[in-house]
Amino acid sequence: MGLNLLAVAAVGGAGAPAAILQSGVSNIVVNGLIISALYAVVAIGFTLIFGVGGVLNLAHGASITVGAFGAYYVARVFGMGAWAGLVAGVLVAAAFGAALYLAMIRRMEDEPIMVMILTLVTAVAVEQFVLTVEGSQPKAIPALVGGVTRVAGTNLQHNLVVVFAVSWAIILALFLFVNYTDAGKALIATSMSRKGAALVGIESDRVNLATWVIAGALAGLAGVFLGSFQTAHWAMGRAPLVLSFTIVVLGGVGSIKGSVVGAYLIGFLEVITTRVFDPRLQTLVPLVVLLLVLLVKPEGLFGRELAEA
Amino acid sequence: MSDDTLGEDAAVEQSSPATGRSLPARYVAGLIGLALLAVLPVPSLLGVESVTLFGTVTITFGLSSYQLLQVAGAFYFAMFAMSWDVVSGYTGQISFGHGFFFALGGYTSALLNLTYGVAPLAAIPAGVAVAALGGVVIGVPALRLRGPYLSLVTLVAPQVLLSVFILFSGTFGGELGLSSPDNLLGVGLGNPVLVYYIAFALFVAILAVLLAVTRSSAGAVFTAIREDEDAVAAAGLNPAKFKTFAFVLSAAVGGLAGAVLVHTPVGNPQPSQLLATQVSIEVIIAAILGGMGTIVGAAIGGLIVYLLPEYLNTVEYVVPVLDAPVSEIDFLLFAVIALVLLFVMPGGVLRAALRIARDRLSDRRGEGVAADGGRRARTPVEQVRERWRSAVERTLGRGPDRERRTTDGRRSDGRRADDRDANRGHENGGDTDEH
Repeated sequence: MGLNLLAVAAVGGAGAPAAILQSGVSNIVVNGLIISALYAVVAIGFTLIFGVGGVLNLAHGASITVGAFGAYYVARVFGMGAWAGLVAGVLVAAAFGAALYLAMIRRMEDEPIMVMILTLVTAVAVEQFVLTVEGSQPKAIPALVGGVTRVAGTNLQHNLVVVFAVSWAIILALFLFVNYTDAGKALIATSMSRKGAALVGIESDRVNLATWVIAGALAGLAGVFLGSFQTAHWAMGRAPLVLSFTIVVLGGVGSIKGSVVGAYLIGFLEVITTRVFDPRLQTLVPLVVLLLVLLVKPEGLFGRELAEA
Repeated sequence: MSDDTLGEDAAVEQSSPATGRSLPARYVAGLIGLALLAVLPVPSLLGVESVTLFGTVTITFGLSSYQLLQVAGAFYFAMFAMSWDVVSGYTGQISFGHGFFFALGGYTSALLNLTYGVAPLAAIPAGVAVAALGGVVIGVPALRLRGPYLSLVTLVAPQVLLSVFILFSGTFGGELGLSSPDNLLGVGLGNPVLVYYIAFALFVAILAVLLAVTRSSAGAVFTAIREDEDAVAAAGLNPAKFKTFAFVLSAAVGGLAGAVLVHTPVGNPQPSQLLATQVSIEVIIAAILGGMGTIVGAAIGGLIVYLLPEYLNTVEYVVPVLDAPVSEIDFLLFAVIALVLLFVMPGGVLRAALRIARDRLSDRRGEGVAADGGRRARTPVEQVRERWRSAVERTLGRGPDRERRTTDGRRSDGRRADDRDANRGHENGGDTDEH
């Protein structure tokens, strides 16, 4: 995940001064807060599917790419503006999630291994498709809002503030949805016991479809954001996918709270690594954390929370 | 409990006494296949590459030097696929990053040769040793982690290695890889036939060793671990020992394939050839499409998966919608074809072919429907699936599963009990089911 890219984008971005490059504590805090919120959005989608369906969706990164390019087409190619692009990106990625579930996953639901392989191959196919159609050149999605404010010695792009606010709004909305609505409770019930849920009249097919759609929409949203303050390119989904593994395993599988906490730990770790130590360690550190967690505490920090909530 | 290919074998002989005396047809087919591969370079060796009949019809049956080298490369990839099958197909510990071992072998051997001038013949065993060590590193966590968690470790291992390679690109050459090390025995591009035969000999040797291991009692334990690890432990065998052995054996064979490959004209110590996610995906697809848990299937799958993109590269057809020639989108096409095939025959090509052949044979002999009414056999994929499901359910803390486990073990699990009853039924019936 290119935080260094983020800095570059900030420098080269629409009229933004090169302030993000200033290192310092406030800079680390601001960037950490924003990027972590985005990671949380990606990871929650991933963990919902694992928690409810019991399968790992390795095409989650592909949903990010799909969302970003959906937004790119609507905003840049059709010239309909950034906000229309955002809506389009989310819808396209949600439709991609629904299509994946209906065409493939539904028939393989009891075969997590085949799901993992099929989604991995799907992810590769999507990457290769984008590479063929769009080439390897990165594309820029226009920023949602322009302008910069100076906060605690750091220049802050308004675009990033929007990213932060929308991400948190989504996280809170999901948390409320899962815990306080009937549909959300059906989701938890299915994740606890499919048989039990079926006995009280919950159709697991519909719940699963809903999780895939929600996860797709979340990934699409993240894709649009990533594309708007960095760039959209064919392999953009890979790094967030790997980060999702780490976040989800660290936070505990199937737990929204765990994903948010995990995302903030990993996000800040990444920002500190790249800013204070060596940017080249960026991809290595989360992987090492993942391996350590798997070896020392595989159930994660908040394991089974979803099942007990 | 025995490995299912042996099971098929027994079933075939049981149901058709006529073939009991001679070798089963599929062994003959396999041997014919190997013989064909053995004589493949002969025409080019003799310099006879085509024959013109009656002055008009030209039959080309030789392979060009380039094609010979491609097939040699395919042999190494097939060895790699077989090594995946040992650990994933047999013990059910699905490795999503087998390129880790391929790269450990290849890079170690290449680095020793390039940096310290060690001769390939001495560097290759070192590569195998390092890869085997890598097998221990991955295999020991595998004793604690199950299902998707283990897959995450294997998925991440090659990425960690790649990050290290990029971090220390001075030593490891980063994303571009290292330059080509010395060729094995000094055999270079000039002698493709020899390159071919070295690869072929190694291929046959590894095929023989892995067949021997997986058909031995150790192989039976591997299969048993895939089916039910608790049962293996209950039988007084230590699953940890066998799982580690499978990992180390697989890693060593994969490392050997990688180490020799970099010393041939076809392979170079580059991430794209040894370590990239693509490599690890291709090997999974190869083994599953060929037939997981059979070794032979993995070998066939490996050959096909390696050669298919090479073939697609030569196709000049332009795909209409994408407006791109087939040769440019070979990996995309490969992924799409693989998706379709995985859907149509999840048990693999080898199993599908065997099943069709067996049905044909039994039809011809006028045998009726199988005694159990043709119940679908449980493929290794299905067995792994069941292991995963219980691992996932345990992780997610799904109540019923835990209760079931603690009260009276697996017996009370309705599905499995059904399966068992069905098994008992068909054992009595003497069926033609592969199990």
